[in-house]
Amino acid sequence: MNKYILILPFIFYSSLVGASANPELQTVLIDLNNKASLQRGAKIFMNNCFGCHSLKYQRYVKFIDHLSLDQETIETNLIFTTDRNGKPTKIGSLMLNAVNPDHSKESFGITPPDLTLIARSRGPDWLYTFLMSFYQDESRPFGVNNKLYPNISMPHVLWWMEGIKKPINSDLSEFEYVKKGNMTEIEYKQSTTDLVNFLTYVSEPAQLDRYRIGFWVMIFLVIFSFVAFLLKIEYWKDID
Amino acid sequence: MNRLMAWIDERLPVSNFVKNHLSQYYAPKNFNFFYYFGALAIFIFILQIVTGIFLTINYKPDAAQAFASVEYIMRDVEWGWLIRYMHSTGASFFFIIIYLHMFRAMMYGSYKNPRELLWIFGMLIFVLLMAEAFMGYLLPWGQMSYWGAQVIISLFGAIPFIGESLALWIRGDYVISDATLNRFFAFHVIALPLLLFALIYLHLAALHTTGSNNPDGIEIKEHKDENGIPLDGIPFHPYYTVKDVFGLSFFLIIFAFIVFFLPELGGYFLEKDNFVPANPLKTPEHIVPVWYFTPFYAILRAIPDKFGGVLAMGLAIFVLFLLPWIDRCSVKSMRYRSRIYKILLTFFAISFVGLGYIGMNPVTPILTWIGRLFTLIYFGFFIALYFISPKEKTKKVPDRVTTHE
Repeated sequence: MNKYILILPFIFYSSLVGASANPELQTVLIDLNNKASLQRGAKIFMNNCFGCHSLKYQRYVKFIDHLSLDQETIETNLIFTTDRNGKPTKIGSLMLNAVNPDHSKESFGITPPDLTLIARSRGPDWLYTFLMSFYQDESRPFGVNNKLYPNISMPHVLWWMEGIKKPINSDLSEFEYVKKGNMTEIEYKQSTTDLVNFLTYVSEPAQLDRYRIGFWVMIFLVIFSFVAFLLKIEYWKDID
Repeated sequence: MNRLMAWIDERLPVSNFVKNHLSQYYAPKNFNFFYYFGALAIFIFILQIVTGIFLTINYKPDAAQAFASVEYIMRDVEWGWLIRYMHSTGASFFFIIIYLHMFRAMMYGSYKNPRELLWIFGMLIFVLLMAEAFMGYLLPWGQMSYWGAQVIISLFGAIPFIGESLALWIRGDYVISDATLNRFFAFHVIALPLLLFALIYLHLAALHTTGSNNPDGIEIKEHKDENGIPLDGIPFHPYYTVKDVFGLSFFLIIFAFIVFFLPELGGYFLEKDNFVPANPLKTPEHIVPVWYFTPFYAILRAIPDKFGGVLAMGLAIFVLFLLPWIDRCSVKSMRYRSRIYKILLTFFAISFVGLGYIGMNPVTPILTWIGRLFTLIYFGFFIALYFISPKEKTKKVPDRVTTHE
C-alpha cells in the first residue's frame, strides 16, 4: 500500500506534463477480420502512398491469403512496379518501390521512411490522428503543416479526398475547410480507418493467426492443467 | 527390457542416477507455491535454448541484414512469429521466475549454512543471465537495441583510467557497430549458454548434495527412519514431478496468453521503438532498458556522479553474493524470525519494485529523489541485517516440518 501512496502524486504529475506536450490522440477502431476494409486500405495505400513509402518486409503474395484477393487482381491492380529487366514485379517479391533515395531526399529533405512497421512503432491511434491532422500553412514548402507532427516535410497526399482545412484560431483547436475534397468528412474518416487498418495488418500479419490459434491453445492448457491438478491430488493422497 | 537396462547399467549407471536424483531423492514434503520456480527456471532455460536454435537458423548477425532477418522470421518463416514471441516472452519470464526464486531464498534463508555455495552458483547464474539477456537484446538491431547497448557499454567508460579502452574493447569499435553485433551474437548463442549450462549443473549438484531447504527452514536429514530415509522427505519422483507438471501447466496458461495475445505487453516485453531499425544518427527521445534491468538502472541514476552510479549498480548486485555472511541469524525461515526482519524484508521488496518502476520512467526531480530513497532502503537492508541479525529475537523452530499443501 505504501508503494501506491508514494507513486500516486507523480502519476498525476506526469499525466499533466504528458497532456500538454502531446495533443491527445484520436482512437481508431481496428478490425483485422474486416477483409473489405483491409482491401480498401490496400487500394488507398498502393495508389497514394506507395509511390514514396515502401513496405519492404511485406510480400505481395501474402494478400492472397490475408486479404482474400486472387493472384490476378493483385497483379493487375496492386503491382505497379517492374523489375530490373522492365518486366512486372513478381507476386512473391517484397514490396519495394522505384524511388531513388537520393532524389527523394532532394525533393523532401528526407528519404520517406518505409512504413511496414509504422503501426507497431507509432500505434494505430497515432497514425489515424496524424492523417487527420493536416492543415493549410503557407509558410511550409508544400503549403500544409501537421498538428500532430509539426513541420513535417510531407505533403498532404490525401487532400483530394479530405480537402484542405485552415485553422480558425492560432492554437489550432478549430478548423474550417477552404477546399473541398471528393469525400465527405465521414467518408474520409472511414477511408483513413481502412488505411490504418491495412497498415496495422501489414505491421504484424501474424495477428491474423495468433488470436485464432491462441484461443485453442488456451482451451487445451486449461483442460491439461485441470487433469494435471487431479493427478497431483491423486498422488499426494498418500502423503500425510 | 530388463535385460536391456542391465546391459546399459553395466556400462553407464542410468538406473543409479534415476534413483539418486529422482525416485530415491528425498525432498521436504512441505514445499509451497514459491518452490515451483526452480523447476520453471529449468523449463524456461530449455525453451530459450530450443527456440534460440530455431531463430538462429534464419537470423543474420549482420548490421545490414539483422533487422530485416527478424522481420523475415516474423512473416515468411513457418511459425517463425511463434518461435520469436516464445523467445522474447521467455526472456522476460526468465527474470520474473528468477527474481521470485531469489526472493524465496531470502524468505526462507535458503542461502544459509550449508547452502552458501548453492547460493553463489545461483548468483553467478543470475549475473550471466543478465549478460545473456543484454547481448540478446542487441540482436534484433532496433533503435532500442542499439541505443540501450550504447548507454550500457558507455557505463564501462566511466571507470577511471581503463574505462574508455575497456568500452572500446567490448564494442570492438568506437560506436556500436557490425563488429559489436557479431561478437554479441557469438556470446549470446554459444559462450554464455555453455557457461550457463555448466553453472546450472553445478547449482543442481550442490542442491542435491545438501538437499532442499523448505518454508520451515529446518534440515529434514536430522530426523531419519530406520532405513535412513528422512521422516519429512518424500521421493522427488513421482510426488514433485507430478506437482511440477501441474505448476508448469498453470504457468503455461499465463505464458501462452502473453505469447498469443499480448506479446509486446504494452511495450514492456517488446519496446515500441525497437520496431524502428537501428539508426546511429538518431537518438530516441528517451532510452529505457528492458524492465528486468530497471531496478539496477534506477540505482545507477540515483547517484549524481557517473562513476559513482556505476559503482553503486555493481555493488547492488555484488552485495547479494555476500548475503550468507551478512545475515548472521541462526534461524533460516522468516516464519520463526523476528518481526523486524519481516519488516526489513518487506521494505527491501518494496524498494526493489519501486526502483524498477522508477527506472522505466523518464527522469523527473521527484522521481530522482524517490529513487534515492529507495536506493538507500535497498542498501540499508543489508547494513541493518548485518547488525540486527545476530541479536534477533527469534521464535522456537519446530523439529519437524509443520504443514504441507
